[in-house]
Amino acid sequence: MRTPRPFSLDDIVIGRSPRMQAIFNFAKVVSRSDSSVVITGESGTGKEIIANLLHHTSARQHQPFVAVSCALFSETLIETELFGHERGAFTGAIRDKPGRFEMAQGGTLFLDDIDDVPLAMQVKLLRAVQNRTIERVGGTREIGVDVRVITGTKRDLRQLVDEGTFREDLFYRLNVMTIALPPLRERLEDLPQLIDHFVARFARARGLEVPGISPAVRTALARYSWPGNVRELENACERAVQLCSCGTIRTGCVAARILFGAPGPQALPLQVEVTAAPPELPRSVSLDDRLHEVETNLIGWALRASGGNKSRAAELLQVKRSTLGDRIARCGIATASPELSGGHDESEAGCTLSD
Amino acid sequence: MISRDQVDSVLERIRPLLRSDGGDIELVEVIGNTARIRLTGRCANCPSAYMTLHAGVERVLRHEIAEFEQLVAV
Repeated sequence: MRTPRPFSLDDIVIGRSPRMQAIFNFAKVVSRSDSSVVITGESGTGKEIIANLLHHTSARQHQPFVAVSCALFSETLIETELFGHERGAFTGAIRDKPGRFEMAQGGTLFLDDIDDVPLAMQVKLLRAVQNRTIERVGGTREIGVDVRVITGTKRDLRQLVDEGTFREDLFYRLNVMTIALPPLRERLEDLPQLIDHFVARFARARGLEVPGISPAVRTALARYSWPGNVRELENACERAVQLCSCGTIRTGCVAARILFGAPGPQALPLQVEVTAAPPELPRSVSLDDRLHEVETNLIGWALRASGGNKSRAAELLQVKRSTLGDRIARCGIATASPELSGGHDESEAGCTLSD
Repeated sequence: MISRDQVDSVLERIRPLLRSDGGDIELVEVIGNTARIRLTGRCANCPSAYMTLHAGVERVLRHEIAEFEQLVAV
């Protein structure tokens, strides 16, 4: 069982690479539909973030988003997890328990690691997705479920079908649309933006001044292969922020594995062309930029919290309605119906593509 | 027995990264299959550098020089 992280469109950094921009644009189209979606990508590429994005920009956004990893359960447990059980269905079933399908009623169910679902369970899943009804374990009545199903997989389902470990009928039912997330090593041009985003996020979460990042560290991070993808990058940034004690993240704050690579058949990529370090000066901080950022974030929060009602948002921020209008115009916040960009410039919006 | 040159040639490949960050690594001596090093410059003052660089450099040395046993930071 997994508790979904509170999701905010503001947390998203998609990245500027053409591949990620294409995915972002495709996600906009997909979120308008109600069809099943398969999100493929290696571990840590951000499948759950994209599922969240699709849900929170769809017509179902005010209904529940339920995420569950199918890899976490044994064959019998997964059935009760997804479909629930009736009291007395098995030893220990002391009360009725709704499953994930029922909990997602009206909303979106994200089934991650669908490639780990055993064949026997796939039949039941197919029935649920196809007939939009489920039956609790030990129950006899059919329960209608209005749920959009999004699935995540790290393996190619088509290939699993060919190998006979994934049902073809279920594959076609789930795979109406596919979003394929690239591994981080194939979009290294997004690395600087992601690093800056994570470092700033962790520093602010700890109430610290956002540290600088030395060119040597940027070089080291750029030549690492990131097998754990954005999740690994996120953790590396968290570690660096935690360890940084001098205001600039330097090589000492980065894990040895990333700096020097894992010993293996590949030659250790230690030869670096790093430009001479610039003379150390206290980093300047733009007060105006920082205040503008705070203002924009707070106004965005109030508008979301008030469902776009500016009078209510003004109350939340303890300013006059007219003042809020001026500030919104000054910050350039779009207040039309919440689009995918969450009211932000798309090139800046982005997805922390780690789940 | 490993030679000072063997260790130095590996360290030489690690140095550009550290130097570009205002730090450096000095090979104090090689005794048997053990090398003693000193972190200098900015690395010397950074509490995190010791753990990271000591562990990382030792791993590289073990990987590059089969007989290498231990790295001691002094």
